[in-house]
Amino acid sequence: MIHLFVFLPALAGLVALFAPGMARRLGIVASGLTFLIGLGLFAQYPGEGYAFVTQTPLLEPVGVYYALGLDGTSLALALAIALVTFAGLIVLRDVPGRMVALALLMETGLLGIVSSLDLILFYVFYEATLIPSMLMLGLFGGQNRVRALVKFALFTLTGSLLMLAAILAARYLGGAESFLLEDLLAHRLDGAAAVWAFAAFALAFLVKTPLFPVHTWLPDFHAENHPSGLADVMGTLYKVGLYGFFRWAMPLFPAGFAEFQGLLLALAAVTALYGAWVAFAQTDWKRLLAYGALSHMGVGALGLFSGTEEGAIGAIFLLAASSVYTGALFLFAGMMHRRFGTLELTPTRGLAQHAPALAAFTLILVLAMVGLPGLAGFPGEFMSLLGAWQASPWLTLVGFSAVIASAAYALTAYQRVFHETPERPAGDLSRREWAFAVLATLGIVLLGVYPKVFSAVIEPSAQVFAQLVGGGL
Amino acid sequence: MSVLITLLLTALLATFAGFVMPSSEVRRVSGIGFALALVFLGVNWGEDQVLFNGLYVFDAFARGITLVVLLAALMAVLVGTRYLAATQAERFEYYALLGYAVLGAHVIGATTNLVVMLIGIEILSIPLYVLAGFRRDLESYEASVKYFLLGAAASGILFYGIVLHYGATGAFTVGAAGEGLLYFAAMALILTGLGFKVALVPFQWWTPDVYQGSPTPVTLFMASGVKAAAFAALARVLVGSGLEGPWGALFALMVALTVLFGNLAALVQNEAKRVLAYSSIAHAGYAALALLGPDAGPALGYYLFAYAISTGLAFGVLSVVDEGKGVPYGALRGLLQRAPLLGVGWVFAMLSLAGIPPFVGFWAKYLVILEAARGGAYGLVVFALLTSVVAAFYYLRLLALAAFSAPASMEVPAARSGARFALVVAAGLVVLLGLWAGLGFGLFANAAALAP
Repeated sequence: MIHLFVFLPALAGLVALFAPGMARRLGIVASGLTFLIGLGLFAQYPGEGYAFVTQTPLLEPVGVYYALGLDGTSLALALAIALVTFAGLIVLRDVPGRMVALALLMETGLLGIVSSLDLILFYVFYEATLIPSMLMLGLFGGQNRVRALVKFALFTLTGSLLMLAAILAARYLGGAESFLLEDLLAHRLDGAAAVWAFAAFALAFLVKTPLFPVHTWLPDFHAENHPSGLADVMGTLYKVGLYGFFRWAMPLFPAGFAEFQGLLLALAAVTALYGAWVAFAQTDWKRLLAYGALSHMGVGALGLFSGTEEGAIGAIFLLAASSVYTGALFLFAGMMHRRFGTLELTPTRGLAQHAPALAAFTLILVLAMVGLPGLAGFPGEFMSLLGAWQASPWLTLVGFSAVIASAAYALTAYQRVFHETPERPAGDLSRREWAFAVLATLGIVLLGVYPKVFSAVIEPSAQVFAQLVGGGL
Repeated sequence: MSVLITLLLTALLATFAGFVMPSSEVRRVSGIGFALALVFLGVNWGEDQVLFNGLYVFDAFARGITLVVLLAALMAVLVGTRYLAATQAERFEYYALLGYAVLGAHVIGATTNLVVMLIGIEILSIPLYVLAGFRRDLESYEASVKYFLLGAAASGILFYGIVLHYGATGAFTVGAAGEGLLYFAAMALILTGLGFKVALVPFQWWTPDVYQGSPTPVTLFMASGVKAAAFAALARVLVGSGLEGPWGALFALMVALTVLFGNLAALVQNEAKRVLAYSSIAHAGYAALALLGPDAGPALGYYLFAYAISTGLAFGVLSVVDEGKGVPYGALRGLLQRAPLLGVGWVFAMLSLAGIPPFVGFWAKYLVILEAARGGAYGLVVFALLTSVVAAFYYLRLLALAAFSAPASMEVPAARSGARFALVVAAGLVVLLGLWAGLGFGLFANAAALAP
């Protein structure tokens, strides 16, 4: 079943690549089925440990296995990925067929990233997902797409190639027999080797989280992608850096992590505040959302880098939940682009009078992003900050002020677009957009009101994580 | 044995068939000959043969190298037709010379005797000097003369090294034990000569001009087949004699300089063949990484195999696009829209050469880097990985040109059916071997078997 879960989207994507005419219908069916399979796996999940594990030699002489499996964390993230891709494909009407195909290929890559139990396999999925992402940007992007693409690709590749060196070190200096997660965990590195290896992993994952000095690819990437927002959604899901820290970098090299914990916490706090600050100055929806999401990742990272169980639960929860509402907001931006032909924040004033339903649903999403209790953003942020407080109260205060600042940029932008005097009339939600908006809102409210549905499955794996990492400073 | 005879007969037949039939028929003769050799190779797979008192060693490594060379030759024959017709370079001698070159490459792969190796190198090189000048214009002549002068000098150095090697050890086989100044000088000269042939820095200067000036299908064969054969010789010598002490450090330095120079120089080119020429220098550096490991055979062989397919695919596309004047960046613009097959082939080739999974180039690069790491060359591994970020930059630029730029005109380069078949097979292999990593990795022998 897990093979089908991971590879069904890619199969549909390959078919869709050759029959772009039926790509959209095929995409909805395939991603819907994937989501249903995901729900089925979620229902069967025993509650802790890895389930649905499968293992076949891939390149046996050098210890590379095709090993998949899901624990609570991967399951939560996989469900978020499947849901958001499905929702995105439902709502979009005017995207080219080949782009849908690429999005499906990318979904497989993302599901592979979260379910790999072999480090090389993880690396393969991690890198391979870059290709559809690049192609979507290059083929369907805006004016300066090639520059944005090269920036994005080089940032990612620089990090991940160094990671490849560290992957080899992790196995050969540690003396493991293979690249399987359990094998590597049984032979963990120590001393200077662990510090270097962790540094290389950290660089790769910081680029992909992203955190402050290496985030500069993010705004360009989002601004230049197709205005419908599908590629942005997939790009948001591709921000798997925190997951990489959680699953690989920190448990494998706790000694290295201990060296860098202070620095990482500081970077996370700076990112949270900086993202919110810069988001305030943006005049373009996509750039605003990009910086807003950056700020969120900062808060999540603050939780994760505390090394505590609460922080880890918060970070993963925030990662899963924020991909739902950030993705949905990118798609709403696409809806506004369809109505006005622009993503500028000013010329679309007064939308609330013509499109009340659009305004209401957008408000829910914006409030979720701000972290209003009762919606999906809050539990993750709260738990993250709770964990972070145990590691560093002062930096937690900085992170907390970012949460306040997020209200400033999000509500200002909302006011500009939806309130004030109406300029041009615009249609309200179509039926398809209604379906999407209801689905997204249901998810967000459910996660906000009853976070336990996710946090309960994340908790055991966060416990294991906290034990492996050793509880922080 | 049957492979050797088939290749010899193919070359001879192509030589004489040209007197009685048109060159397009000779093409068929040599194509069938290479395919037949491939069949014999497959039939005899797994059978080691040592003939002529140990002068001809047909072991697993030799079979792998022969496979690479034959694939490269078939590719060159199949994709070259349009290019050769457009440049009036299709004469029957072309196929005869190619046949001899393949024979020479096979001989190099299948021997551990230095003299036979030298003979193989000459059988391979002399036809290539002629093939490089096969297009009748100044650039092609220049390529030919440059290749000949430097190649002949390299052969001379190699020859001298072999003589000194005999003087120091009393044997012509690789890996004969020796010591002292004479042995040191012999090994230095042999390494210099072979370094020329595989284009390691600082012996790489001929590569860009020769690759750019030669007819594109010939460049295809040089980059994939000839490189594999030259590496086979280098691997036999180095694995045989070992890389202990100063040799290891010196060789590691050469590898580092090679990947650095190849990638940096490729960055500032504006013609596709020239970029690929510099990139082939860098790839020689990556392949040489494997020789620093304890079991070089499988990783090196697989790298050469993967590189031959990927670069063969890239040069195959260029052979169709090229009109004889080289391929400036403008000619690649919008290739994906103009000619989807060529465009997809080009995109796959660039991704594979850049070493991005799930393409075969990734596993190849992974394996050589793994090998170097097992040999303890961590610094070099990190350095090579960092330079491959530079490589990703120019490959992505070439990819972006073909896939994302709007074409200046919608004129479509027409690939003939043979070329289309070859490109589809190569592109399919690049993906298939990338997805199913275990496939094909067992083609090559372990290093213990490389030395006699």
